[in-house]
Amino acid sequence: MTHDPAAIALRTEGLTKHYGDVQALVDLTIDVQPGEVFGFLGPNGAGKTTTIRCVMDEIRPTSGRASILGMDCHAQSVEIRRHIGYLPSDLALYPNLTGKDTLTYFANLRGGVEWSYVDELTERLGAQLDKKVGDLSSGNRQKVGVIQAFMNRPQLLIMDEPSNGLDPLVQREFQTMMREHVTDGGSVFLSSHTLSEVQRVADRVGIIRDGHLMALESVSSLRSKAMRRVQLEFGTAIDGSVFDGVPGVRDVVVEDHHAYLSYDGKMDALLKRLADQYDVVDITTEEADLEEIFLTYYREDVAL
Amino acid sequence: MLATVFSKTVLDRWRGVTIGVMALGALLLMAMAIYRDIDLSIYTNLPEAFLSLAGIPPDADIAALSYNAVYNSYGALVLGGIAIAMGSASIAGEERKGTIGILLGNPRSRTRVLVAKAMALVLLMVLSAIVLWVAGVVSPQILGVSVEGMQIGAFVLHLGAASLLYGLLALALGAWTGKTGIASGVSAGVMVVSFVAVGILPLISGWADLARLFPSYYLGSSDPLLNGVHWGHIALLAGASVALFVLAVVGVNRRDLRSRSVGTSLVDRLRAAPVTAKAAERLAGSARVSSITAKTASEHQGLLLVVSMLMFWLMGVLMGPIFNAIDEYAADFGDVFPEEMLALFGGGDISSPEGYYQIETFGMVTPIALMVVTIAVAAKALAGEEANRTIGVLLANPVSRSRVVADKTITMVVFGAVVGLATFAGVSAGSWIGGLGMSYANIAATCTLATLIGLLFGALSLLLSAATGVVRLAIFVPVGAALVAHVLNAMAELNGADWGRWLPFHYYLGSDPLNNGMAWGDAAILAVGTILLIALAFPAFARRDLRQSG
Repeated sequence: MTHDPAAIALRTEGLTKHYGDVQALVDLTIDVQPGEVFGFLGPNGAGKTTTIRCVMDEIRPTSGRASILGMDCHAQSVEIRRHIGYLPSDLALYPNLTGKDTLTYFANLRGGVEWSYVDELTERLGAQLDKKVGDLSSGNRQKVGVIQAFMNRPQLLIMDEPSNGLDPLVQREFQTMMREHVTDGGSVFLSSHTLSEVQRVADRVGIIRDGHLMALESVSSLRSKAMRRVQLEFGTAIDGSVFDGVPGVRDVVVEDHHAYLSYDGKMDALLKRLADQYDVVDITTEEADLEEIFLTYYREDVAL
Repeated sequence: MLATVFSKTVLDRWRGVTIGVMALGALLLMAMAIYRDIDLSIYTNLPEAFLSLAGIPPDADIAALSYNAVYNSYGALVLGGIAIAMGSASIAGEERKGTIGILLGNPRSRTRVLVAKAMALVLLMVLSAIVLWVAGVVSPQILGVSVEGMQIGAFVLHLGAASLLYGLLALALGAWTGKTGIASGVSAGVMVVSFVAVGILPLISGWADLARLFPSYYLGSSDPLLNGVHWGHIALLAGASVALFVLAVVGVNRRDLRSRSVGTSLVDRLRAAPVTAKAAERLAGSARVSSITAKTASEHQGLLLVVSMLMFWLMGVLMGPIFNAIDEYAADFGDVFPEEMLALFGGGDISSPEGYYQIETFGMVTPIALMVVTIAVAAKALAGEEANRTIGVLLANPVSRSRVVADKTITMVVFGAVVGLATFAGVSAGSWIGGLGMSYANIAATCTLATLIGLLFGALSLLLSAATGVVRLAIFVPVGAALVAHVLNAMAELNGADWGRWLPFHYYLGSDPLNNGMAWGDAAILAVGTILLIALAFPAFARRDLRQSG
């Protein structure tokens, strides 16, 4: 993890945005490191797009600041845009231009676009560039948006709900492209509410709800914390009291040679206790699903 | 209130209609107050030919002049414009927005939707006519002006019926094509040409009957204000309206609906054809998107082309030979004109080609043509990018907000200059063909001043665009301001009032540039005003939060 400000892909410090009395975003502080996909998760209206629009200098924060690659998002916004690729949510393009025209337009405004790379991206996504954008389906329009974000080989990709409208095959290809991008040293700020996508591509996630950051962790540590279902098989019939006092164990059901339980935390304590007393034949655990975690954070009754 | 397609359409539109109609009522009161205080004897000696040209009934008095000045010209254009906007939005508008699918996803037939939209149009036209009628009755009472023998109700009925016809024309065109551009463009074109033709054709011996071909003929030719309702004319307008409505029903039921689809332009066809593909590709595929300015220009090229052609051919070239056709008439009344009267039309002598061009081409149509283009570019190009949500992806490129404003401004200025040039070329050609011997330098001066006044209101639109991002505001505030300023200016000229110098139009024709040549001081004032407004647009746009949707 780098602390060199110029190397940090995206940093927000106490970023806050109020619309009148509405607090759209409250004191958001995050770093996106070089070489990582940062997943930004939250339900609709949580403040994901507000964050991105502040970072893109479309709107100005009430307080706090944001910087990209060490440059201030407001003061140096034009220079910043040479180094980023941006895909807005609910993408709107110019309906009268073809995909090719659209990319040419942005390439002219941006500079440094190699057309051979555009051709490669077009092929990978199966995009149709000869049709007018207004005549394309939303998925095919989204492909044009993805290409324009990637085409100048930016250091940081900022993607707001990028998979909208893309079919599963194209989503898979797009996710591969994001991983390749970070493997080459780039970074991705990926705003999404598609959990499976974040689970697949993100290294770390920030979870936002009602403008507040609820959690900021790596995907693997989130998973390790997650509640999981464990099924145990023993050589002999067991007594349910063996689980008493083991931290993290809940909802124990014992049936003769079998035990079913929910478990949250490291397996270490549980395994030691069992191995001391019984002959453990088999352990089955279901993989922790991020969905469970997110649903926990999204539920209204969780205190902010 | 959103219970039906009908009530939703009325609800969507009533604000705009109310503002437009109330403004007309206020203008009427204002005009009447000013006419009351001036010596009207100047009108009594005017020859009929001139009165027809200026749209003034023969036995003019205060009330008649006010009704004609406000309702017959501005009123006809404003109410017709509102009707056309509603008509083209009915079916084609829902298709452009992509909402027709979800609307027809409900158990409503196409015919029923169309009927509801048409009914809403009819209702709002009727209500507008009633408001105008009330304003027409109340204003003279407030001011103590006599309206004896005047049938305001009849006058307003004709006005409403003619406007409804234009609205249904737009509805029918939209129902057949699904294209708002065609629906509103063609209807507005028919309205403007009809407006001009009905003023001019009766002056040309042998051509008078041709005026009957134009809808506007049935608005005022029977002089309903003095003679009451001409039921034959009303029946004709109503019959044509019904016919257009039936056509619309047939049209909307027989074709495939569009779903937020885009039209195929000439360039698209050229790109598709193998022979022309290469050249067209260079034009459309690279030149068009080479910069923000070029792209903005290409988006509004259709509008620019139509307006420029209209100004060149109809208001420029054709006016020369037409002047010769009515020359004999006009020559008779060269001496009769009191100076105050001439001031109203920019101080030209009506028997001279300059005075004639001033009334027909430069007085009202040229500023309108210029403003249509400058305000459209300023509002749609800047606030439009926010309304269409394309501003986000545009500003994801390394261009500053200031550069976006600058590039859009350049497009607006170039467009204004093109219309100004087209007008100059047309009027010069008209003068040359007709052998009128007008000074080309003076024509150029007048066109320059016209361009500057068009840019002034365009700059106001640009500023509002930049400061608010709301397209409606950026269109209607400058249009309203221009309308009020134009009427007030005419009144001030007539009145010889000193406050006229505070109105921008004073610096357009106030110096009579067509006769006297360039008034550099006036040009400088207009230019400085324009530059100031544009300069304010930069910080206004740079400082604020951009909207996520219009």
